[in-house]
Amino acid sequence: MASTNTQWGMVIDVDKCIGCQGCVVACQSENNIPINTEDLFNQRRAIEWIRVERYWEGEFPDVKARFIPILCQHCNDAPCEPVCPVFATYHNNEGMNVQVYNRCIGTRFCANNCPYHVRFFNFWEPEWPETLTNQLNPDVTVRSRGIMEKCTFCIQRIRRTSREAARDGEELSDDSRELNPACVNACPTDTLFFGDLNDPDSKVAKLAKEEMSDDGRGYHLMPQYGTSPNVIYLKKVDESTKDSNGSHE
Amino acid sequence: MSLTRRQFLTLMGGSATAVAAAACGVPERELLVQSPIEMPEDMVTGLDNWYATIDRQNRAPLGVVVRVMEGRAKKVEGNVDYPVNRGKHNAVAEAGLQGLYHPDRIGSPLIRTGQRGEGKWEQLSWTDAVSRVAERLGELSGEETVFITNPVSAHTGLVVNRFAEALGAKHMSYEPLERTVLKASMKQVFDQEAMPDFDIENAAYILSFGADFLNTWESPVRYARGYGHFRQGENRSRGKLVHFDSRFSMTGANADEWVYVKPGYEGEVALAIANVMISAGLPDSPALHRITGQGSNSLESFTPQAVGSRAGVDPEKIVRIARDFLEHPPGLAIGGGSAGAHSNGLFNLNAIYALNYLSGSVDQLGGITFNPSPPISDLPTAPDATSFSDFRDLAGRMSGGQVKALLVRNADPFYGLPENTGITRASFNVPLIVSFSNRFDDTTMLADIILPENHYLEDWGTDIPDPGPGYQTIGFQQPVVRPFFESRGPHLGTKNFGDVLMTLAQVLEKDLGLDADNFKGLMENDARRLRELDRGSVRAANDKLFWNTILQRGGWWDTNASGDIHDPRSGQYSFPTAAQAPSTGGSGEFHLMPFETTGLTDGRGADLPWLQATPDPITTATWQTWVEINLKKAEEMGINEGDVVKVTSEQGSIEALAYPHPGISPDVVAIPVGQGHKGGGRYSKDRGANVLSILSPVTESETGALAWAATRVNLRRTGEWIRLPKFENTAPDLAEDGHRRIIPLTSG
Amino acid sequence: MLPGDFQPPKRPTGRRIALFGALGLGGVVGLVVVVVIATFVISAWLGLPLDAFGLNEGPDQPIAFPHPTHVEDLGLDCTFCHRNVTVGAAATIPAVGFCMSCHITVGDDKPEVEKLRNFHTSGIPVDWVRVHRVPDHVNFVHEPHIRHFSEQYGGASGTCQLCHGDVGSMVKVQQVRSLKMGDCVDCHRDNEAPTDCTTCHY
Repeated sequence: MASTNTQWGMVIDVDKCIGCQGCVVACQSENNIPINTEDLFNQRRAIEWIRVERYWEGEFPDVKARFIPILCQHCNDAPCEPVCPVFATYHNNEGMNVQVYNRCIGTRFCANNCPYHVRFFNFWEPEWPETLTNQLNPDVTVRSRGIMEKCTFCIQRIRRTSREAARDGEELSDDSRELNPACVNACPTDTLFFGDLNDPDSKVAKLAKEEMSDDGRGYHLMPQYGTSPNVIYLKKVDESTKDSNGSHE
Repeated sequence: MSLTRRQFLTLMGGSATAVAAAACGVPERELLVQSPIEMPEDMVTGLDNWYATIDRQNRAPLGVVVRVMEGRAKKVEGNVDYPVNRGKHNAVAEAGLQGLYHPDRIGSPLIRTGQRGEGKWEQLSWTDAVSRVAERLGELSGEETVFITNPVSAHTGLVVNRFAEALGAKHMSYEPLERTVLKASMKQVFDQEAMPDFDIENAAYILSFGADFLNTWESPVRYARGYGHFRQGENRSRGKLVHFDSRFSMTGANADEWVYVKPGYEGEVALAIANVMISAGLPDSPALHRITGQGSNSLESFTPQAVGSRAGVDPEKIVRIARDFLEHPPGLAIGGGSAGAHSNGLFNLNAIYALNYLSGSVDQLGGITFNPSPPISDLPTAPDATSFSDFRDLAGRMSGGQVKALLVRNADPFYGLPENTGITRASFNVPLIVSFSNRFDDTTMLADIILPENHYLEDWGTDIPDPGPGYQTIGFQQPVVRPFFESRGPHLGTKNFGDVLMTLAQVLEKDLGLDADNFKGLMENDARRLRELDRGSVRAANDKLFWNTILQRGGWWDTNASGDIHDPRSGQYSFPTAAQAPSTGGSGEFHLMPFETTGLTDGRGADLPWLQATPDPITTATWQTWVEINLKKAEEMGINEGDVVKVTSEQGSIEALAYPHPGISPDVVAIPVGQGHKGGGRYSKDRGANVLSILSPVTESETGALAWAATRVNLRRTGEWIRLPKFENTAPDLAEDGHRRIIPLTSG
Repeated sequence: MLPGDFQPPKRPTGRRIALFGALGLGGVVGLVVVVVIATFVISAWLGLPLDAFGLNEGPDQPIAFPHPTHVEDLGLDCTFCHRNVTVGAAATIPAVGFCMSCHITVGDDKPEVEKLRNFHTSGIPVDWVRVHRVPDHVNFVHEPHIRHFSEQYGGASGTCQLCHGDVGSMVKVQQVRSLKMGDCVDCHRDNEAPTDCTTCHY
């Protein structure tokens, strides 16, 4: 694994997502995301690298709510990349859309250009009470004021696991748990899968192959923008609408 | 002060330079490298270790592994081995870390110096504190001492029970939303003491009534894990979930069909479903005979038509769902939450659980499986929660001066009990209140002496899961980090709760009849007993190896040890012939449904900022108390989102922010439990409102439990408006996404 | 004379000459100051500000630990004390207890050893002054670097001098390479190591 030919990707089975926010808090914990205070929510500046959107359908009594987790899609043709004047965001050779904090000058062009709204700006210096800083993850930079941040597929885990495997002379399996981003390990219903889309034996590659076919459930979020994301969604199944509405999208 | 333009510019320039200098400089501590005096062998700077332990932030403890670097806990993840959660965890377990490093934790024994509740404290040494408590307890008779804990099991339970016995004190277990009714129903329907397990993973059809089992009810992580397989598991077809509830909960949102039932009529709906099933013809069995009263269909008064009109459910729906349920075995019926929180709660739950006999899923794959008693007979499983009626009596005894000492551990009755019990007022007639809490919850605020216990990540312990996974399991909890306040020396800091009780007993010269003189010793002795069983997940050549392995794996379990359970067929329940109508407190316009949120659950998570900031799945609201009200009804009443509304019951009123949404019945308003603490530290103090305080004192008719979903309220706009902190719209709607509507499956 | 006509400049008076002289002198001094500051800034940018004045002899430490005594005289391996360098991110400074495994008996008459023993008995950790430091947004891990160079340079201890210089002969430890990003990237290129940003920045 982790050859030069790696293409990290994620498969999200919306049919399993229950909206429990487990992934959201796991991400906060792993990635040193500042505490989202009441004020930040009111200013619409709360930071959630992965978020769970809720959509209403219908009205009482025939009402439905749907959940869909949304994170950086790590697009192969990412709209955020060409607008950065300082190359702080770019696509690397592992298929990831990368944000380099020390290059970022805070123009926020990238956030403006992202159709998925998964980029977040640090309007203030992050602050924690002294004792809570004990929890901060030493593998992840604490972002300072004035820069952009977003989902990294928990690259610190990929780096650490591959490094330690190389040190101990071990082969790293593509579906190993240590490699997974925090959200994937936290998900109680196995909604999220992570792995190398270029490795035909990985779970994500198999799912992608199977579900992106004509009769599969796979789709990309907002395909009309042609962003070619590395995150694949699997449709929610709703049997009550199955017969009445054969077409979709 | 007047300021010229020039002065202003100078000041600006000066402060900008200062900011720039401060920003460019390297923080002083980064210019130092500390070399410690001694370094533990397994601690390598920059390398992480994952230690297995038990999470206790959740009401149903999970097996977790905690990432530790340089002696600090960094991350919690599920323990893949542990039978209850099998590697899964949730937001609550994750946030336990913030409890460990909470800025307002109590770090040493404290004694009150000001008036009670004034919040003035003085530090004192453990020896001093324990001897003061012992001296006071020594003067009292057993009846004058009351010991309130959370429902405790395994070794902590053992020590608590022995301590209460030795003192002759009354022991009460407290939970705000108690399980008394549920446990009584398990006893009557299945003849079980312990909660059974639900095999959601293998069920084909689930009928659930009132229980938000994917979110907060009983063992949500275990159920959610099963749910993943239930939906898209390999080698099975997609399961179907139908949820009957008076509120549109998270489980309701995930159900294939959510059916609104008038509050308190869940049991009748279940009986109507039973009626349809029996009419359709069921294979004869002894259980069926017993349940239906000798095989005759005695449910004439529960026809879908009659029940439908009473419960507000379309009769055709009842018939269709009942047939579907019958045609898709294994079918599982689950009930709880608000369905059991009415004056007829037991009637409801009994009827619901009896459906499992009709679908033939009792003690079957994909149905209900039962839990055996623990492998070591001394160890108690979690006791029944003491009912609300008992606590009301306690409040009476307290105000009458019959209670002289109150010991409270990990329970917050002064927060959770409705105002009308008068327990907070009554507490001023109790001369001694001792709290073992390490945070200033509402009860601890009114204590006289605080003997703070360790945080669970610093502590020893064991857990017998309840509900268990269907076989014998004991979780072992070990300290993953040194106690945070260890540096304050042996006389201050926090201690293990069991050890403190054992020391107290020693000072009081009471024999607890335990085979060790400290808590860890008790655990080690029983580990030895476990090894002698020579079965299960851990076997070892010697005791030391066994002990180490058991801590490494997070516990001991034996997947084959599912025997030794009461025969469920000896339950006493049979279908009733007459309905039992729910009664409500007050006569307001709306029925009030209190509910637990993902983050705060019953209020225990309110002091942790991650949980406060966790959006509620349905409303995405955070940090506040809100009122869910039907969108159209709100329009009629002129209520908009963020309007401060006064919710008034016959017992009092609270103010909260309106959140109108389309998923709730126009007759119902729903308010989350968990805010409105008077204490708990900076993140929870004086935040939001406590809906539990205005509940009517309606009790479940047979068990005396609090019928917390049986209050009616009125709503009135106060004219104020506060922005509701919610996550919704933080990112603009993905309006152009063609998938935002329900996406039908084309392949069928 | 009409206003707007060309007028030859007046000859400066004595007072004016003095003023211009003072201004000129001030300008020169100002220029020197600017150049000195620029030197500082530029050399700071290059990594070793004090090198320009030959002042980089390393900071004073709470205990004047002599590397030459331990390395050159006693022949200890670097990894004997900095033992985590082959497994983890930080090379780590040994715990005081580890020093005491020898110094419980060795070096009785030395005042610096006495300091060490005092730290040990009082239980106060030693606050060493950091000499090598990369900023917060850089994730530098020793282990893969040592692994890569070990074969070439005869074992783990042979590789240290590549970046740290001959510490064994330094009385006070000082920084010899700039350890700026350019330095890192050059070396990564030469050794065909990855130069993707996320190799170090995440």
